[in-house]
Amino acid sequence: MAGDDEKDKVAVPPRPAGGRKLDRRDVLKGLSTVPALGLFGYAWQKQRQYEQAAAGTEQAAAAGDVQDVHVALLGAGAQGQVLTDAMLRIPGVRFRAVCDVWAEYNQRRVVNQLQRFGFQVNAYEDYREMLDKEKELDAVVIATPDFWHAPHAVDCLKAGKHVYCEKEMSNTLEGARAMVAAARETGKLLQIGHQRRSNPRYLHCYRHLLGEAKLLGRIVTVSGQWNRAVTPDLGAPERYTIPEARLKQYGFKNMHQFRNWRWYKGLGGGPIVDLGSHQIDIYTWFLGANPSHVMASGGQLYYDPATHEWYDTAMVVFDYDTPAGPVKAYYQTQTTNGSLGYFENFMGDQGTLLISESEVHAAKVYRDTNAPPWDEWVQKGYITAPKLQEAVEKDKAAVTDVRESVSPDEHKVPIVLKDPYHQPHLQNFFDAVRGSATLNCPPEIGYESAVAVLKVNDAIEAKSRLSFTPEDFAL
Amino acid sequence: MGLESPAWTAGVKRFSHEAMATVFEVQALHPDATYAAQAAHAAFDLVDRLERELTRFLPNSDVGRINALAAGQSTRVSPSTMDCLLVARQMYDVTGGAFDVSIGTGLPSLELAADESRVRASTGGVRIDLGGIGKGHAVDLMGELLEDWGIEAAVVHGGFSSVLALGAPAAQEGWPLTLSDPGPPIRVLVRLARRDTALGASGVRKGGHIVDPRTGKPAAGRRAAWAVLPRQAAHERSQAGCGGPRRAAAAAADALATAFMLMRLRDIGALCAASPGLEAWVLPEPARSGGPPEALHFGTPGSS
Repeated sequence: MAGDDEKDKVAVPPRPAGGRKLDRRDVLKGLSTVPALGLFGYAWQKQRQYEQAAAGTEQAAAAGDVQDVHVALLGAGAQGQVLTDAMLRIPGVRFRAVCDVWAEYNQRRVVNQLQRFGFQVNAYEDYREMLDKEKELDAVVIATPDFWHAPHAVDCLKAGKHVYCEKEMSNTLEGARAMVAAARETGKLLQIGHQRRSNPRYLHCYRHLLGEAKLLGRIVTVSGQWNRAVTPDLGAPERYTIPEARLKQYGFKNMHQFRNWRWYKGLGGGPIVDLGSHQIDIYTWFLGANPSHVMASGGQLYYDPATHEWYDTAMVVFDYDTPAGPVKAYYQTQTTNGSLGYFENFMGDQGTLLISESEVHAAKVYRDTNAPPWDEWVQKGYITAPKLQEAVEKDKAAVTDVRESVSPDEHKVPIVLKDPYHQPHLQNFFDAVRGSATLNCPPEIGYESAVAVLKVNDAIEAKSRLSFTPEDFAL
Repeated sequence: MGLESPAWTAGVKRFSHEAMATVFEVQALHPDATYAAQAAHAAFDLVDRLERELTRFLPNSDVGRINALAAGQSTRVSPSTMDCLLVARQMYDVTGGAFDVSIGTGLPSLELAADESRVRASTGGVRIDLGGIGKGHAVDLMGELLEDWGIEAAVVHGGFSSVLALGAPAAQEGWPLTLSDPGPPIRVLVRLARRDTALGASGVRKGGHIVDPRTGKPAAGRRAAWAVLPRQAAHERSQAGCGGPRRAAAAAADALATAFMLMRLRDIGALCAASPGLEAWVLPEPARSGGPPEALHFGTPGSS
């Protein structure tokens, strides 16, 4: 072994100041501070059990008086895994079953993850078999490709289950209407996955900044976007290829289409559905009106049209007749450059609200210099104080202190989501199942949103301005 | 000084991706370039997901929530975050606190309930930063994903400081790798040929950024350190009951490299002696007189 003569240069005598308590070993000068046990002598499983015992009691108490909800996940792909991750943090959610046609990969991965949390779930490839056999289920959470939403949701509702279904509600209006009808007919709950409707930041802005304080004055224009960088087509590990017969049985031509269904007509709804749907739902929610007209331009500008049947870029203008007056709202989505990510920007004659689900933008409000003061709302804690501009002590005799230029007032919205993005919306659903809440996005709202969003595809196809009638949104 | 590239390297396909404030790279040997690209991008998607869990800059990341825990509170984290925390805690223990993701704020007061994936703070004020282990953790999981995709020979790294050699090129003993003096001048100190091995590197080239969590003072006297650790192959991992640093080899090597900048040499030697297959290289700062320093080597190469 080399180099013990170098040790004095680097040896650091242990001191209590670093926060780590001195133990007897440290105090015995000259002895190693490193346990004699090597890297692999450490009893890994023992450690896990030991740590487990230390924290076990508290969990039992926390889950004590919450009514269990027995849940199946239908669709264990990327989004299903996101929802599972969020549900694992919600007390009282009891996983019973996982259904996915990709039994070799996604289904197995989620089953393994749930096992790690102590849920012995049954795995299914066919959702009908699951509904036949799993009699104890209270609810099904659906995260399958869009064209499966309507059949899956309708059959689950008719089997007597409450349903949480990812957006877009359906890739067709017929499908969406069938879902509303099934929910009404069965009396079961159907929550559509527009999760911003349960996000505390969005709820705060809607209720307090727009509703109570009316900070923006009259909203006249809105803009928003979801820009995403180029992504290569998704592949799959060769050894887990789904047999062709099974792919065809579930509506896919081949493995490539199965993995990249969002780009195919008849399976997904195009980028305006994949990305824009969440935010156009916010336009409608915050403006308090459905759109009256839409014009849009979209095109296949970048990707191979053979494997990307939908446009990759769309620019859209909606007209709204709101109770406060007419509004124009712009939205763009493109899939070749992720610049500035995603946000919604509401502009009124007294201020601007920039809001996003993402922490990059979070939420900020800007006051027009001629708007009434916002001190009251700062004092109430609805928004933060602006960056300090009166840093120099005021001389009462002077009207202006001449100094370096200042920025306009920027106020932050002090609401922070500490949970995964989908958790509050799922929590709202489970609370509603237990009878202690009403749904934040029932099927009627999901339907109105689908009408507004799917019409964008019609407008791109028609290359002209299309109008909505009140009947379009009626059920 | 440069050597000719051997012929087999022409078949290596390289893919890179920005994440965790650095660049990740997959170098894969596979006959189908499209397939290799899809596998690499699936691995990069995984890194992005891990970054959202591990970053301390998002209030709703696993680490963001841990850092907001008051005394007695607990929060659930993803299973992979829990694995990373367990390795971080073990590295804290075996290095006598020289590797400390809490930077002296009290790592032992975070209780890790692994089977529920729950973290409980017995005291408040613990703040963790997984910057010294997260890249290695990501590289471990990328390696597992690539194995799942049937990629049998690849090198995966996060910013060159957390490296995993998977398998080896055909007819080669291992992937050719070098450990270099960060300089100036930059010079190769050690040449290695390794398969199924994780390597971690730490140094002060980016500025004296390694703080000794035990004293709060910056590291001094060393220019760079490396940790090399054999990794359990996929078929070994499938057996029940395995875990820890043989599985999380890149996370462990990442953490140990940082610790090796700070630990006493005799402690590094003792840890290597007690850990078959673990090797360390430590490069001291040059003495005022005399030539460039040589790296000090501890441990012996071995398999898991």
